Parts: sequence; C-alpha cells; structure tokens
Amino acid sequence: MRAINKIASDEWRFWHRTKLAATILVLGTLLTILSAIVNTHQIHQATHDREHLQQSSESQFLAQPDRHPHRMVHYGHYIFRTPSPLSIIEPGVDAFTGTSIFLEGHRQNSAMFADQRQSSGMTRFSSLTPSFLLQVLMPLFIILIGYASVTREKEAGTLNIMVTQGVNLWHLLIGKYLALVSCGLLMLLPLVVAAMSVTIEGESLLLTAGFVTGYVVYILIWSGIVLTVSTLSEKNNTSFATLLGLWIVLCILLPRIGSSSAAALAPSPGKLETDFAVLEQLRKLGDGHNAADPAFEQLKKNLLVKYNVEKIEDLPINFRGTVAKYSEQKLTKVLNAFAERRMDEELSQAQIARQFGWLTPATAIRSFSMMMAGTSLETHHRFLRQAEALRFDFVQSLNSVHQDTLSYQADINRHKDGEAARVGATNWQVLDSFSFSPDAPSTRLSHSAPYGLQLLIWMLAIVFLLRISVRRIVR
Amino acid sequence: MNLYSNLIREAKFLLRQRHLVAFFTIVFLLCVFAVGSGISETQTQLTTIERLIDKDTVDRNSVLAKQSDYGSAAYYSFHLTYAPPSPMAFAAMGQRDIYPWKHRIRMLALEGQIYETDSDNPELSFLGRFDFSFLVSVLMPLFVILLLHDLRSAERSAGRYDLLITTASKANSLWLSRASVLCLTLALVICLPLIIGALFTQASLIDAGLMVLVVIGHLLFWMGLTLWFTSTKIAAKQSSAQTASVLLAIWLSVTVLLPVGSDIAIDEMVQSPNGGEIVMTQREAVNDAWDVPVTDTWREFLATHPQWHGHTTMGPAFEWKWYYAFQQVGDQHASELSQAYRDATLAKDQLASSFSLLSPPMLTQRLLSGIAATNTAAAMKYEQDVRAFHRSLRLFYYPLLFNADKFDVDTFTQLPQFTISMTNLATKKEKM
Repeated sequence: MRAINKIASDEWRFWHRTKLAATILVLGTLLTILSAIVNTHQIHQATHDREHLQQSSESQFLAQPDRHPHRMVHYGHYIFRTPSPLSIIEPGVDAFTGTSIFLEGHRQNSAMFADQRQSSGMTRFSSLTPSFLLQVLMPLFIILIGYASVTREKEAGTLNIMVTQGVNLWHLLIGKYLALVSCGLLMLLPLVVAAMSVTIEGESLLLTAGFVTGYVVYILIWSGIVLTVSTLSEKNNTSFATLLGLWIVLCILLPRIGSSSAAALAPSPGKLETDFAVLEQLRKLGDGHNAADPAFEQLKKNLLVKYNVEKIEDLPINFRGTVAKYSEQKLTKVLNAFAERRMDEELSQAQIARQFGWLTPATAIRSFSMMMAGTSLETHHRFLRQAEALRFDFVQSLNSVHQDTLSYQADINRHKDGEAARVGATNWQVLDSFSFSPDAPSTRLSHSAPYGLQLLIWMLAIVFLLRISVRRIVR
Repeated sequence: MNLYSNLIREAKFLLRQRHLVAFFTIVFLLCVFAVGSGISETQTQLTTIERLIDKDTVDRNSVLAKQSDYGSAAYYSFHLTYAPPSPMAFAAMGQRDIYPWKHRIRMLALEGQIYETDSDNPELSFLGRFDFSFLVSVLMPLFVILLLHDLRSAERSAGRYDLLITTASKANSLWLSRASVLCLTLALVICLPLIIGALFTQASLIDAGLMVLVVIGHLLFWMGLTLWFTSTKIAAKQSSAQTASVLLAIWLSVTVLLPVGSDIAIDEMVQSPNGGEIVMTQREAVNDAWDVPVTDTWREFLATHPQWHGHTTMGPAFEWKWYYAFQQVGDQHASELSQAYRDATLAKDQLASSFSLLSPPMLTQRLLSGIAATNTAAAMKYEQDVRAFHRSLRLFYYPLLFNADKFDVDTFTQLPQFTISMTNLATKKEKM
C-alpha cells in the first residue's frame, strides 16, 4: 500500500511541476464551479417563475365571475412544470420540452414554449451545464492530464528500471490510476457540493448518493481507459492520438449516431398525422355541445326510463350537462389511447438511443443521470399524464355542476337570457391545485438500474483490458 | 512545377501510411452516415407532408359536405400549413427539430393555435443529431488538429527533421505541400458524400457549391491556424501532444465557451415576453367576450375592419359573425405581445449572428443552416406564411358571414389554398 501511495504522490508532484496538467485541472474545476453556480441560479429562477405562474393561473380561474359552467370548460386552465431539484446539475430534456400546457375541454393540447425555441441557437452542441461538462469535457481533461502516465516512463526508460528494481507493475499502475482518479474527483467536487445542497432541500439521500456514485464510476471508467491506452502505447504521441480519437468517437460521435439511428429506425408519425385518426374516431362519438346529436339517443332513452318521465324537460337533471359529461368521457378515452401510443413510440425511440450505452460510457452516464435526476423523457410523459388527469377531473366536475346545478330550461334559453343561464363562482373551487413532482426516488432508482449496469459492465471491461495490457508489458 | 511534384510526392507518401488511409476511410464513412441519415430524415418529412396534404383535403371535403352554414363550416374545417425541407436541408437540419414546420389551423384566434408544436422527440433533440453541419463545424477542426499537429514534431522525433529541412529547397513549402495534401484529401472525403447527396435531392448547384465553399473556408481556417501555431517558437519546444493540447484549448474556447458565453450574454441583452403571456392574454380576451357587451367587441373589430360597418346588427340568438369577430379581437389584444415575442426571437438571432463572427464553428453552422433554409429566420418566415394564410382565410369567410350569403357548397371551390410563400400576396390584399 505504501508503494501505491508513493507512486500516486509522485504523479501529483510531476503534474505540479509540468504546468500543463496543473492548468487543465484548475481550469476544469473552475469551469464546473462556474457552471454549477450559473445553472443553479437559472433553475431556481425558473422554479420561482413557474410556481408564480401556476399560482396566478389558479387564482385567475377561481376569480372568474358567475358564468355558464361550460364556459369555464373552454376558459380552461394553465399548468406549469417545475424543474426537479437535481436539474441544477442535469437539466436533461427540460429545455427541449414545453414547460406549460393549456388544459381545456374536448382537447389534449401539447406542451408549449420550449426554452430552446426562444434561445439564440448557440447552445445546440454545448451548454454550460455541469452534466455536459462532466460527461463530455471531463474525459478530455483526464486524457490531457494522463495520456503520458505510462508512456512517459517508457520513453524515459524509467519503466524498465523500475521493473528490474522489483517494483510490482500492478502497484505502479494502481498508484498512477489513483492519482488520475483523484484529479477527476477534484473536478467532480462542485457536483458533490451541489448534490448535497439538493439533499438538504429535501431530495432523497439515497438518490443523490446514487447520482454522485454514477459519476464516480464514470471517472473510474475514463481514468481506466486513459491508463490502459497509455500502457499499451509505446510513445506519448501515439497514446495521445489514440485517446483523442477515442474521445471523439465515444463522447461526441456515438451519442449522436445513436439519436440519428433511433429517428431512422423507429420513425414516429408525429401528432398532426395521428390527429386525423383521432378526429375520425371523435366524429363518430357525436358533438357533446349538441344534445340532439343522434349519437346520444340511447343515453336519452335510458335516462327517460330511469326517471320514468316522457320528455327530457321533465328530467330532474340537466340533460345537456349529462351529454357533455358523457361525451367528454368517451372522447377522453379515445384521446388517451392515442396519447399513450404516441408516448410509447417516443419511448421506444429513446430506448434505441439509450442502447448505445453499451457502445459508449457517455450515453450510459447520460441516461443514468437523466433518469436519476428526473429530467428524462419519462418524467416529461409523467407531466403529460398528470396534466391530463387534472384536465379530465376539472372538466368533469364542471360538467357535473352543469348537470346538477343549472336548470335545463335556463340552459336552452341561454342566448335569450344569459343572466339566468349562470351558476355561482363558488363552483369554480372544483379545480385542484397543481404542483408537479418527478417520480418517487425508488422508481427512479429502479428505472436507472439498466444504465447503472451499462456503467458497471464498462468498468469490468476496463479492468479486463488493463490486465491484458499488464501482461503485455511483463512479457 | 516544383509545387506540383511536391504534391505528388506527398500524396504517394500519404498513401503508403496505413493509419492515414484508415483515418480518411473512417471520416468518409462518417460523412456518408451523416448525409445518408439526413436524406432519410428529409425524405420522411417530405412524404409526411404529401400524406398530410392528401388526408387534409379528404378530411376537409368530408367535413364541408356535412355543413349547412358558413359559420360551422369555418369552425369545423381545418387547413394544413407546412414548410417542406429545402433540397439542401439534409446537410443541416438546423432548428427544424425545435420549431414547428406543420400546423393545421382554422379560423379561430390564431394566437391560440400557432404555438402548438408538433415537435420531435425531446430526448433525441437533446442528444442532438449527427448531421453534416455538425460534422463540419464541430468535428472537422478536431480532424485537422489530429492530422496536422505533429507535422514537424513527428519528423523531429523520428530524427528525419534535419534531413528533410536540408534536402527540401524551401522548408516552408515542404510543410505547406504536406498539409495541403492532407487537407485536400480531407476536403475530398467530406465533400464527396455532400455532392452525391445534393445530386440525389436535386439541389441547386449554387447551394451545393456554396456549402462546399463554407466547408473549404472553415477547413482553411483550421489549417492556417494549425500551420501557424506549429511554426511558432513556442511549438518548436513542445512535444506534439503539448502542441495538440494548445490547439484543443483553442477549439474548446471557440466551440464551447464562446457560444455558451454569448448565449448567456444574448439572454441578458434581449428582453422577451414570456410565451405563456401571449396565449393567456388571447384566452382572457376571447373568453371575456361572452360576458362583455356585444358593442365593445364590435367597436374593436370595426376599428380594424371598417368595411363591415353597418353589417353588425344581431338578433337575440347566437351569431357566427360575432363569434369570429371576438376571435379576431382576441388576436388583436395579444398582437403587441406576440410581435414583441417575434421581435425578440429575431433580435436574438441577429445578435447570435454577430457573436458567431468570433467563433468559426458557430459561423459555419449558421452559414450552412442558412443555405439549407433550416435556421431561425426560415422558421419565422414559415410563421409569417401561416399568419398570411389565416388572414386570407378570414378574408374569404367575412363577406359570406357579414353579407349573410345563402349557403352554397360550391363557394368552397374558392377556399384559399396554402402555398409556401404567400406573405407578400396577402398583405397586399388586406390593408390593415
């Protein structure tokens, strides 16, 4: 153990002496700190804004005057998705999905106003988020610091001297490995601090610990790659060129090739196109605004029998409200079926892209990180589902008010006497307040398990490669 | 003649180095993949549009056949608007995955419809696509650095440096011709798939040529930079890896730090209204219209449409002309915000184009998506097209509604058709 420590501290002394490695380390750490601060500020701002918008949207709804209840169905309601706590480190798809949805009767609107749409378009490749820095740039920094860790000794001839003097080769490599890993951990430090602050704010400790562990494993993987290549190469130059090539392929190329392949392999027809099929099905259901639509003939008959009356005017309930409620339920069923299908399509596209985690650790850590942070596609879908649940709930509650509180006579004469065809504003209290929360920690942990596995397999592969390279040196 | 023979010698030298041949093959294959996936994407978009046009016509005709008045006809019939990808879009998908390029709109308030985005899978957008413009703007500099950083130092460490310097008539022309051969080959393997792709999509030769020029310009910048730096005294003392590290640092600053920094700066410089406010304003106006006195709606509507003065009398029952009038008034209420929103988008884009002058990769990306018409400006132009079409739709229905024309299905043969650039046409028609 003492030998390993000695080698690791020698490595650090060398970096201290050569300014290049020290500069990279300082720059890398500063950059992560800066990005953590900027991103935390931005996410806090967004959280604050969206919470505020949510409150004002709710109070606006409640402040509406006495009205015909169906008018409130069309007045609708806005909901906003507040970012998950860990998005200060991993914002994930947040900037690419709309963050607000307009909820109204008879329709499922898509989320609107994605941040990227209002951005300068300069951040399509890179962004100053801690996750981008750690997933894409940190491997480059580790390469720059460590590409020569073994080749340097080979070029200077010191490796042979050490081996003949009886230094255990594994001790040597582990020492150098630890030194390299400690560099990576130093750059990870700002993330650890940020994760701790998130834990204090109430995120599950198990989750943030798992999140940080994922990044530690990622550092272990890249340090391993760097050390393996340096051990296998004869010269500094070849080690450097090989590692740079690997970085380009693993961190930049493969993740994007994954996303392009997913789009090509599982093309999704888009909402507009499925809307035709939706509309076709909906037209069969009849228009809920028109109680005389033949589609509701059966409903009418059943009600007349049930209440034992001759005409709909004699029903104790408002038949128009019943029709609205009935048709909204049928319609929602159709809309949900299509929405679920669309989400499945999106998810299977994402799954294809995520399988590239077997080919590159960069995709593995990205999927893992998004899943843990609750900023993945699944979380967006969760938002869409919660939005739909809220929409259906308040629309049906208003339809119940329409059915039970407003008299049928007043309702059919609403254009002649608008005043009589109203219900009190107290009825608007049916709206539940909305606050979005990502999946429970346990769900996120179990969902991220496959990507954790990808990382572990990578780790094992690196250990295996390192063993091979050690054998080659010994021979 | 001397330069020519130099080039031939270097080319032969190059072909004998197996790792270089492998390198160029890989770059070529990457380029083929980028172009291929771009073409498959644009072809999918084109066939989608074709299918949508067919379905849209069938759907609208069947809806219109069931109507008995113009008001319901306008209410129930949707109209497809779209922006097809340009023939060069395969090379630079630009902002097309973020901005909408297809809508189905109807005669209701437009501000409630135009922000609907039938967007791509957000997770794929976040991962980013591997298109030609990405390859050229982000990766090509790295390729140049990989190829050229050890021109001198490799020879130095191989012990051939002094020999080469003394045998070559001019030392500089040696490095220049070697670098030229490498970059020429790189340009060739990058541009060949592009040109084949352009021939396949029948793009205009000018556009394809412009793209090739941008690629070459960007290549020359990095070649010049690398050659200059490797010839400095600093580089002479460095190992090739150290030289490459410095070049990488430059790449990192112009590809990552500068864009990110300017993005933050641009966000600070341009104040934009929140998109949500536009739709909220519009919704309040449209919903309040049911409660406010009818005369209020008419006053605001007539302020912008004076020609319908005297046609606004209404009975006690619901009337469509009033309904569409307050839809229009809803748009009018939101128009100031909506204009500010669009202005902010354009202002940001303008600033981004100034900032990108500092960053060659960003400039390349913007130029390429400009040629491919997939940039923000193109998306905004499509939005204007949609607005113009909506206007022509209103102008079609207003006389029918306000003059209370007798319903006649044949009128719909004159329904305005969406054509791709109708902005100028409609603004001339309606003097607002």
